[in-house]
Amino acid sequence: MAFSEMLAQLASGAVFTVLVTVACCATALAVGLLSACARRVFPFPAVIRALDLFAFVFRGIPVLVLLFLVYFGLPGAGIRVSPLGAMMLSLGVISGAYLAEVFRGALDAVDAAEIMAAQSMGMSRWQVFLHIELPQMMRFSVPGMVNEFTNVLKYSPFGYTVGIPEMTKQALVLSSATLRGVEIYLAAGILYFLVYRLLLVGVRVLEKHWRVPGMGPAHLQDQPV
Amino acid sequence: MALIEIRRLRKLFDGHPVLNGVDIDVAEGDVKVVMGPSGCGKSTLLRCINRLVEPSSGSIHFRGAEVTGPDVNVRSLRQQIGFLFQQFALYRHLSVLDNTALGLRKLKGMKKKEAAERALHELNRLDMAGHRHKFPAHLSGGQKQRVALARALAMDPAVILLDEPTSALDPVMAREVAQLINRLHGEGVTMLCVTHDLEFASAIAERVAFLDEGIVQVEDRLSVLYEDHAHPSIRNFFMKQERSS
Repeated sequence: MAFSEMLAQLASGAVFTVLVTVACCATALAVGLLSACARRVFPFPAVIRALDLFAFVFRGIPVLVLLFLVYFGLPGAGIRVSPLGAMMLSLGVISGAYLAEVFRGALDAVDAAEIMAAQSMGMSRWQVFLHIELPQMMRFSVPGMVNEFTNVLKYSPFGYTVGIPEMTKQALVLSSATLRGVEIYLAAGILYFLVYRLLLVGVRVLEKHWRVPGMGPAHLQDQPV
Repeated sequence: MALIEIRRLRKLFDGHPVLNGVDIDVAEGDVKVVMGPSGCGKSTLLRCINRLVEPSSGSIHFRGAEVTGPDVNVRSLRQQIGFLFQQFALYRHLSVLDNTALGLRKLKGMKKKEAAERALHELNRLDMAGHRHKFPAHLSGGQKQRVALARALAMDPAVILLDEPTSALDPVMAREVAQLINRLHGEGVTMLCVTHDLEFASAIAERVAFLDEGIVQVEDRLSVLYEDHAHPSIRNFFMKQERSS
């Protein structure tokens, strides 16, 4: 098999890698945002305890165990989940639990005086969250989000265990068929790195779009927005 | 009838009374100044008026209606009362214009263009229109306080509560804020200001209420308080001020 053919097969796997990563990142973002929103809009002890318990439990479960539980376990209870759905419910939700903690730290960095100023204008808890806390939280969370999304990309090969033909699965198939493991896994590693770079470029564009003078790293403060 | 009537107001924190029976009136168009040492409950008094802090007992009437009860629409009350914080509390992710227009858009329901025009009008009134695209981090303390004042004025409140508006400012900027308050007073804006800055107090009002140990000890002309301080706590407070000025 020519190397170009092998690259094409790896690239077809990369499409699934990106798909799994994007779907799981979107799930993580939704879970993290819901958690942050609930923490601020419904700050009752029972809600806070439930959110803390969620973060504690899901950060402690290995991704593969939860993935197998969802994909191989739930059908026993009559619930059938697609491979991508199982990835979202395992990797996505676990990453969401980590993101919830990132957002919790970022929310604590929002100046309490600004929150009080918004309340004193007559804003509801939801309006304070939406217009004051959320925009600042997202900006403060960028480094933590990059870390978490990178982790999602690196855990995406678990998809092959439930039948998703992503990049590692393709590399495995090619390696078995050609016995050219060094070249194939090296190529797969480079492709993962390219996807990671793409992710970083996307985040940097977002970061630039969000940048506000006086917020963020000191070395960027005087650069034109 | 006074715009704000406070009677026997008490606020306890962990059983400890910070306010212990405060009586105070603010008339429409008036600038009322409350002075007192740090920790005497000045900020708590202001926060009780717009329910940022829940009073323990006593009554607060605003425009003739009791506002301390459980059935009061607190958000509606707060929209009628402007509040200025000692650390300005500008939203740092928003430009000067957006800081001023946010309440108009989200609370008064104005369209973006209409809110921007109204906000610009208020910024212009306080000589800050030229800074409308700047962010709070790029403003001086005095400029931040002007924007905070414009933000409060834009909501067209019945009264503005000022919580130590000069404590984070140098004397020159504090004098500027005093001039601004006098100008707004001349335009009929009602204000209740708490401060422990004697120079600032004397620049914006002739009469002050002296709050200490949780109650208004005395309310009189500043010149009288300054020269004829019979009560030991007042004497002590103004003597300290005299030494520091």
